[in-house]
Amino acid sequence: MTWISKAKLKSTLKAYLFLAPFLAVFIGLVVYPIGLGVKLSLYGQRGARMWYVGFDNYKRIFADSMFWDSFKIPLFLLLVQVPLMIFLATMIAFLYETRKGGGPVYRFIYYLPYTIPGIVSGLVWSYIFSDSMSPLSPLLSLFGLENIKLLTRGNVPGILLVIILWQFTGYTAFLVYSSLIAIPKEYSEAAQLDGAGLWQIAFRIKLPLLKGPMITLFIFNAIGAMQVFNEPWMLGNLVVLPLNYTPAMYIYNSAFSQGRFTYASAMGIILAVLTCSFSWYILRSAGRQILGRRH
Amino acid sequence: MKKVFAVLLLVLALSVSAFAADYYPEYTGKPTTITMWAWTSNENYSIEEFQKAYPDIEVIWEDFGVHYEKAQTALAAGSGLPDVLMVEYSFAPQYMDLGAFQPINKWLDEETFVKLYGEEALGWCAMDGEIYGTPQDSGAIGFFYRQDLFDQYGIEVPVTWEDFAVQARKFKAAAPELEFNAPPLGYALWWVGLVWQSGAKMFDYHDGNWYIDFTNPVAEQVFEFWGELIDDGIINPTMWWNADWYNSLNMGTTATVLNGCWFAEWLRYNAPDSEGQWRVIAPPNFDPSKPHNGMLGGSGFYVTAHSKNPEAAAIFVNWLNSHPDSLRCLNQYSNLPIMVSQRYEEVVHELAIEDTFFGGQVIVEDLWDAHNLINTTFVCLPVWSNLDSALSLLLQDYADGKIDRFADILPMWEEQVIGFMEEFGYFNVIVGELPE
Repeated sequence: MTWISKAKLKSTLKAYLFLAPFLAVFIGLVVYPIGLGVKLSLYGQRGARMWYVGFDNYKRIFADSMFWDSFKIPLFLLLVQVPLMIFLATMIAFLYETRKGGGPVYRFIYYLPYTIPGIVSGLVWSYIFSDSMSPLSPLLSLFGLENIKLLTRGNVPGILLVIILWQFTGYTAFLVYSSLIAIPKEYSEAAQLDGAGLWQIAFRIKLPLLKGPMITLFIFNAIGAMQVFNEPWMLGNLVVLPLNYTPAMYIYNSAFSQGRFTYASAMGIILAVLTCSFSWYILRSAGRQILGRRH
Repeated sequence: MKKVFAVLLLVLALSVSAFAADYYPEYTGKPTTITMWAWTSNENYSIEEFQKAYPDIEVIWEDFGVHYEKAQTALAAGSGLPDVLMVEYSFAPQYMDLGAFQPINKWLDEETFVKLYGEEALGWCAMDGEIYGTPQDSGAIGFFYRQDLFDQYGIEVPVTWEDFAVQARKFKAAAPELEFNAPPLGYALWWVGLVWQSGAKMFDYHDGNWYIDFTNPVAEQVFEFWGELIDDGIINPTMWWNADWYNSLNMGTTATVLNGCWFAEWLRYNAPDSEGQWRVIAPPNFDPSKPHNGMLGGSGFYVTAHSKNPEAAAIFVNWLNSHPDSLRCLNQYSNLPIMVSQRYEEVVHELAIEDTFFGGQVIVEDLWDAHNLINTTFVCLPVWSNLDSALSLLLQDYADGKIDRFADILPMWEEQVIGFMEEFGYFNVIVGELPE
């Protein structure tokens, strides 16, 4: 009895020894900062002076309309950009599948934008829509549209849509495609024998089988939409955007331009909680649907 | 007569050098190393000169793209600020008030400070009698204009603001596709600077109280003046500091810019194709018989609360920003046209040379004159970043057609700023009046 537990203890210790390098980094760089963030969010701060305030920051955030207004852009992206992108990506993935070997050249080209950091593509796109350098102006003037200002505050959501679609559609198509090729060939062969056409097979047979990856994609992109920062940040050099244009921008500006670090921490925690509960809700309701169909 | 003048100059020079020793106390501590965060280019030449005079103090100069973000973080963390921090005058009160700096009166008393930098500079480097640092470059406003466009359209350099408006209308009528002047969409410093340039202020700090009065007659006059031109579409505000804006200066689609004199250098680097076309002169006035000027930007060097060796840091910031050997380097290598120190007088004539970018104009001389027109000062509010972004949004609202009359922005802005003071816990605020 004691002999067994000793061996067990030994092997457990051994396991932790092997895990130690990971655990040290994980605790130091993930767990500790989260804990520190939670702690900071309970303090008031002015310069280097800090004092415990309990949940005052949270109370103030719930009354801070600037914070809640900042969710307009993520909401717009969530409702327009994410579904549109997943739809386009799925179409592209089906097209890949029709090509021999999945059209490696096209996959490469469509994947490329994803390899460019968001800050860089944000910069380049802001130039594309700028007043003095836009390559679109000569095109527009062909249609008699002279001196059109493309980069206005009102157009920024549309421009964000273009940038994010450009950046992530190819990558998403690639992910959908890898799920597609994992579907056993027998399904589509059987459907083909029953007389189903190419798009019928795609929509009636394959798409339902992609439900799992689709939900994952939706959640990942929803999180991305909640945290959008790079693209509006770069566009902000060419057009005045409010400090609270997105939640991440409001958090950043509160901390680094106004020096309200503890308030920013509390907002960060609320954003994280919102994102988590949203993901959890989607997972749970999607899970229920899947289970429901199996009955 | 010439001889008398030469003798006088010699006497003056001798007396100055006799006093000079008093300005810069001996360093009494152990050999030490101090660090400095600053974004001025080529600050190392001044540091080299400093180390010849003070071999026991080594200065390490660091320059980050994210200067203020890093400083804010270190300040909140309670450690990590360098010994010496460069901060714009407009942001300095915020840092002083947050306890980011420590007083250096022990090594640089008020009397010496005023002798070296003038009374006005106290408003940018001191609070409640405690001196925290020294001013480096001047942000004296200059009126930058394109001589080629002025010649082409028969425009004259305006002496009064009234004249400025006349020339602006004339220019717009002759060249509707070009801009006579494009004020910044935001950049509170500019608007506050123009009120200052007219001899007034919008806020101040005195004896423990903050004063706010945006709607005083002069500030209103300035906003009404620009408002009329902007409402009429003669002048169009635009966003500054981006590629579009630099292109418009480089390609000659904007004829004039009102900006701090340090902008001479920015133009040189960001609008290289316009070489030879620009000139710069002190800005117009409402009453040319009483010319004023104000500042737009400019930065000081402050000794931080985290410094372990404030003596060395204090000696350094004073030497850096007032010793002629350093001022010479700051002009020649860092390309700052005008330094605040009164001792700049000693080297200004030697540095006043023809500038090919400005078509051979001796800009140092003209900008030094523009700098010497500054005769008022005030302390900026400690909520500068909020004050700044509030104005940006109001101006954008105007551009989007949400505000009909430009001058209405001023009271709206004031209301928001009063709100920020309250939000950040300043209850010692007096609204609607200003101290003497």
